[in-house]
Amino acid sequence: MPEIKTQDFSAASVAAIQNPKLRRALDRVASGFEVARLDRVAEATPKVWEDWKQQARDIKAHTNEHLDYYLDLLHTNVTAAGGQLHFAKDADQANEIVAHIARTRNVKIATKSKSMVSEELALNPVLESIGVEVWETDLGEYIIQLAEETPSHLVAPALHKSKEDVAELFSEKLGIPYDEDIYHMAATAREVLRDKFMEADLGISGANFVVAETGTLVIITNEGNGRLSTSAPRIHIGITGMEKVIPSLQDLSIFLRLLPRSATGQRITSYVSMTTGPRRSDDEDGPEEFHLVLVDNGRSRMLADPNLREALYCIRCGACLNICPVYARIGGHAYGWVYPGPIGAVVSPMLVGLKQAKELPQASSLCGACREVCPIKIDIPRMLLDLRNKTAESPDRNLRSASKSERALAGLYVKLMGSPRLLGMAVWFANLLQKMERILPFSHLTKDRKWIKKSLVPPLSKWTRSRDLPALPKRTFHDIWKKDLSRDDS
Amino acid sequence: MTPKPLGTPKAEFLAGVRQALGRADVPPTEPYPRLTDTTSELEVQAIEVRRRLAANLPALLDQLADMAAKGGWNVHRASGTEEAVGQIETIVKESGATNIVRSAQEVFDQVPVDAALANQGTKVTTVIKDHDNPREALREEIRQSGVGITGADYALAETGTLVVLPRKGLSRLVSLVPPVHIALVRAEDLLETLDDLFLLRRLEYHQQGGEMGSYLNFITGPSRTADIEMTIVEGVHGPKEVHMIILG
Repeated sequence: MPEIKTQDFSAASVAAIQNPKLRRALDRVASGFEVARLDRVAEATPKVWEDWKQQARDIKAHTNEHLDYYLDLLHTNVTAAGGQLHFAKDADQANEIVAHIARTRNVKIATKSKSMVSEELALNPVLESIGVEVWETDLGEYIIQLAEETPSHLVAPALHKSKEDVAELFSEKLGIPYDEDIYHMAATAREVLRDKFMEADLGISGANFVVAETGTLVIITNEGNGRLSTSAPRIHIGITGMEKVIPSLQDLSIFLRLLPRSATGQRITSYVSMTTGPRRSDDEDGPEEFHLVLVDNGRSRMLADPNLREALYCIRCGACLNICPVYARIGGHAYGWVYPGPIGAVVSPMLVGLKQAKELPQASSLCGACREVCPIKIDIPRMLLDLRNKTAESPDRNLRSASKSERALAGLYVKLMGSPRLLGMAVWFANLLQKMERILPFSHLTKDRKWIKKSLVPPLSKWTRSRDLPALPKRTFHDIWKKDLSRDDS
Repeated sequence: MTPKPLGTPKAEFLAGVRQALGRADVPPTEPYPRLTDTTSELEVQAIEVRRRLAANLPALLDQLADMAAKGGWNVHRASGTEEAVGQIETIVKESGATNIVRSAQEVFDQVPVDAALANQGTKVTTVIKDHDNPREALREEIRQSGVGITGADYALAETGTLVVLPRKGLSRLVSLVPPVHIALVRAEDLLETLDDLFLLRRLEYHQQGGEMGSYLNFITGPSRTADIEMTIVEGVHGPKEVHMIILG
C-alpha cells in the first residue's frame, strides 16, 4: 500500500489552506463540476433524479447483502467467457498476482488506464521492481506519475497542478521546450503514449462496474486511453474492489445515467467500454488473455460493520469532494491517503486503520452537502459521526482522537452543564473576567464588545486563532427569563 | 486444462465475505427481476421495444441527432446514400487526409464510399485481417490514416451514442486511432434508451447460450480531457473530430 500520511492531517491541512495556488485550483473544480452536475439534475428533473438515486441505492444494497452469491456468479461467468478471476485478500496478494502474470508472460511494457484501486495497492513500484515499464495513460495520471505524486481528486487526479506546473514538468522530464499551451501539452502526451499503447504487452485497467450475470468489466472514460489499454495489448488485467460487482447487465443503465452526471456533469462520457473475456477467434483485435483481480484489502471490515457498510456502495464519482467545504479549502493530499474528501474520510480509516486516520472523521462540519449530492444516497455524515463515536469511546487509548486535556475539559463541561448552580457560578466568574479584561491595557474585545478576537486561555485560544468568539452578553437568558419573561399564568 | 487461479482460493475468499456478513451460505431469497426472467419473457419485452421504436421513428431520429450534437458529434442527416457519400467526400477532403481506413461492415454495400474517395485521390484501406494483411501491417495502416469510417451496431437516441459490437471486419482501432472518425448510422440501427439496448443484449446473450461477445463499446462525441486546469481539450488519445451521418 502507498505511504500512509493520514496521521499528519492537521499539519497538512494547515499547510494546504495557506497555499494560494491550490486554492485557485480548487475554485476551478467547484465552479466546474458541481455547476454542470446541477444543470443535469435540473434537466432530468429533481423528481426523476431522486428516483434514479433510489434505484441505484437499492441495487447496491442488494448486491452487498448478497456479495458472496454475486461474486460466485461473477466467477462462473468470467470463467465461461474465457477469462480468469483472481481473488486477492490484501494489497500484497493483488500485486503478486499481477506481477506473476507479468513475469510468466514476459511482459516488458504495461499501459494503464486510470485505476484508484491500483493506487490503493501501490502496484506500479511492484511492477517496476520486476523490470516492467509502467505507463499511466490518463492525462492526469500521467502528469502525477511524471511528478512522482499521488492523485488529489477521484476524477481529476492532477487538478492541484497549474498549467505552468505541467509545462515545467514536461520540459524537465521529457526534454522538450517549455510550452504552457494546454492543447500542446495534451498533444505531447498523445504522441508519447501512442507509441507505448502499440508496444505494450499488458494493459491494466480499473473497473467502474463488473456485471455478475455476464462476467463483464465496465470502464467509463473520456480520453480513449481506457479503450486503447484494453484493446491493443495482448493481455488485459482489470483490477478493482470486490464491491464493484452488480447483478445484471440491465442494472447498468441506471449507473450510466448517474455516474457521469454526478462526476463531471456529462450526460454520458465519450466512451463506455464493456469487456467480456479475451478476444474471440473471429475478432479483429483485442487481448489474448483477460484477467480480473478482485480485491478485499479491508473492504470486508466495512461489510462487517452495519453502520459503515454503505460506504461500499460508493461509485467514486467525486461529487462529495466537489461540494465539500473542507475539501474545497484543503484539497485531496491533506487527507493523507488515496481516497480524499468526505467519502475518503470514511473509507481511509476503514482501510488503513482507524488508529492512524482518527483525525479524518473530524474533517467535516457535518453540513450534509455530501449526502445530498451523493448519487447513491450514502449517508456520509452519519458514518463520520459513527467513526467519531468509535474514536471518542474506544477503550483503546491510542484509538481516541482527543488528547487527554481535551477529554478532561469535555468531562468538566458535562459536569458544568449538568448543574444549574455550578453553571450560574461559572457565568458569574466569566463575566467578572470579561469585565476585568476591559479595564486592563490588553483588551481583546472588539469595539462593540460582542466578540472576543483573541483569547489567552486554552482551549479558547485555539478557537480564536482562526475565528472570533462571541463575548458573554450582559444578561444571560436564564436571568432574563427569571426576572422579565416568566409569569404565572394561573 | 484450466489455468490455476492465483491469490486466495474462491471458497476461502467467499467464506471471508460470509463471515463479514455474519451468515452462512444463503442465496438471495427474493428473485432478482433482471436476472431471473426467462428468454421468452425477454422476447416479449424486446417486441415491445421494437414496436415503440417503429411508432416513433421520425421523432426518435430527431432526438438522436439532437443528443448526438449535444454529445459532441458533428451530425449530418442524409436522405439517401448519394447524399451520404457526398458528405463523406467533403469531410475527408476537409481533413486533408490522403490515407483513410474503413471497417468491413454491411453498411458499405449500401453506401459505396471507396470509388468516390478513390476518385478524389484518397487511398482507402479496408481493415480486415487475412493472409495478405496481418495484424501488425493493418495496425500500422490505421496509425497512418487521417480518417476512420465505421458503421454502427446501434445508435441510442437517449444519449446520442454509437454502439459498437465485435465482428469480423471491425477493428476497434478504426474508430479510435485516426484523428477523425465518421460513423454511418442507419434508421434500423436506432434504439431509444440505454434500457432498451441492455435488454436486447441480454436477450441475445441468452439466445447465444451465454455468449456476450468480447466487447460492447459506446462512443459519444470526441475523445476529451479536462485534466489540466479543467480546460476541455478534444482529441487526447482518440479522435478529436467525430461525425455521425444519419441515413433516413
